[in-house]
Amino acid sequence: MTAVVQAEALTKYYGRRRGLEELTLDIQPGEIFGYLGPNGAGKTTTLRLLLDVIRPTRGSVRVLGGAPREPATRARIGYLPGDLVLEGRDRAIDYLRFLGRMRGGVPASRIEALAERFDADLTVPMRKLSKGNKQKVGLIQAFMHEPEFVILDEPTMGLDPLVQQEFLALVREVRASGRTVLMSSHVLAEVQSVSDRVGIVRAGRLVAVENVAALREKAVRRVELHFASPVPPAAFENLPGVRDLRVEGASVRCTIDGRPDALVKAAARFTVVHLVSAEPDLEEIFLTYYSEGEHDDRQKPA
Amino acid sequence: MIARSLRDHRRPLIWWSIGIGAFIALYLAVYGSVREDPEVYGPAAVAKFPGPLRDLMGGMTDMVSGAGYLQTVVYQLFVPMLFIACATLLANRTLAGPEESGTLELVVTLPVDRRRLVLDKLAALALGLLLVAGATFVIAAGLSALMETGVPFDRILAGHLGVLLLGLFFGTVALAAGAATGRRVVASAVVGVWAAAGYTVVTVGRSLDAIAWLKWVSPFHYYAEGRPLYDGLPAGDYLVLAGATAVLALTAVLAFDRRDVGV
Repeated sequence: MTAVVQAEALTKYYGRRRGLEELTLDIQPGEIFGYLGPNGAGKTTTLRLLLDVIRPTRGSVRVLGGAPREPATRARIGYLPGDLVLEGRDRAIDYLRFLGRMRGGVPASRIEALAERFDADLTVPMRKLSKGNKQKVGLIQAFMHEPEFVILDEPTMGLDPLVQQEFLALVREVRASGRTVLMSSHVLAEVQSVSDRVGIVRAGRLVAVENVAALREKAVRRVELHFASPVPPAAFENLPGVRDLRVEGASVRCTIDGRPDALVKAAARFTVVHLVSAEPDLEEIFLTYYSEGEHDDRQKPA
Repeated sequence: MIARSLRDHRRPLIWWSIGIGAFIALYLAVYGSVREDPEVYGPAAVAKFPGPLRDLMGGMTDMVSGAGYLQTVVYQLFVPMLFIACATLLANRTLAGPEESGTLELVVTLPVDRRRLVLDKLAALALGLLLVAGATFVIAAGLSALMETGVPFDRILAGHLGVLLLGLFFGTVALAAGAATGRRVVASAVVGVWAAAGYTVVTVGRSLDAIAWLKWVSPFHYYAEGRPLYDGLPAGDYLVLAGATAVLALTAVLAFDRRDVGV
């Protein structure tokens, strides 16, 4: 199967200003790829290169097996720009119909269904739409022609939590039908629940690509155990993967790397009355990458 | 895409037609009193104006005959300049404006070839200007007949065609500059400088040998030199204007095809 995105040493400079440096990345069909990084890291630059809004300085990129420059390639992509601008007296529905015609026709029923899902009022002139409603219109136009590949730049920006849930559900449906989604965000929490893989971009460079399931397994997890009676500290010492151990009477606090198996087996010998395990914070891992990156920068002055 | 662009332009198109039409109507309505008092507006009166001002208005040798009045007041400076302003504003609304506001980004990601996009925008611009020219022509020809200027219909048509070609030329200049830079200010500046300098060269500057040769790059030379209101359609001159417009259109297409949009 051809990769949906095949980027080879993709590089973009705006004059002398760096946009993106040596991006090599493959995105496979049917996956949801979360593209993460702080503002100005090069996320939007990457997405614009995939859509031929801007042209690479060096390197190459193929999308769905074709060149982004070919209209036929872009016909198979849906795109939500990061700073979507909708203006004018036109009603949103008229604009969506126009975009639909330019894409070779989109059934009105599909636009209506999406509008209903997102609870969007399309009869309002676009310049009067609120930020959140503009984002809804942007999402509708990105999904309405049922593209094979959906590229979303900060899709959840401005959406209220209910609509965000609806959006994430839609993204999962797209994956279920074998199609591919690439979405950027500067907040991991927004994409971690749906993404199969996340790429972390920093200062124009892709610093890590991680499988979300693997990341979760690697994640540091805080665990608290409470027992019916005081436990001997020795029973929990030197367990594989267990760190920062603190045994105080009948309670045990620690953090675990990876699997909690050894800890659970050690605890099973006693009567457990209460167990608290926080959901692994991927944000923390993300920040770890981030601070490592900063560290590197200090070592090599620009 | 063409229909959409025209729809986007409909308000300015209507207002420009009304504006230019009102200007023509107003001045043609005054012609009645000019014709009745030739002494007041005749050569003696015109001679009171300073020479350079007369040059700027195309010599003002004849303000009393229908053709002379029409030429000086309507077709010499004001209507062409209004038309150029209209064309520049419309052209700026097609590419540079949307690029600056950010709406162009989504449009270039549609499955439409960039070259095709520019050609569609140019076609919409041409059609829009044709509508304004058509509406104002009806007013000019109608009132000219009503006020009995004695200028034949086909001469006014020839003059008005020149206005359209001139507007189209500068509109394409604006569109090409906007397509190449993505900035309305640049596009407007290019038009402004070229139009002002071009007009000066063929009027005040024609007696200055040092700059007289510049008339060859002034669109106004091809617009006015053939005296369409007196002598009918100057086909050769108009073809030069149209040809230059086509070259500019090609430049716009090629320039936009190579560019990063919105950065």
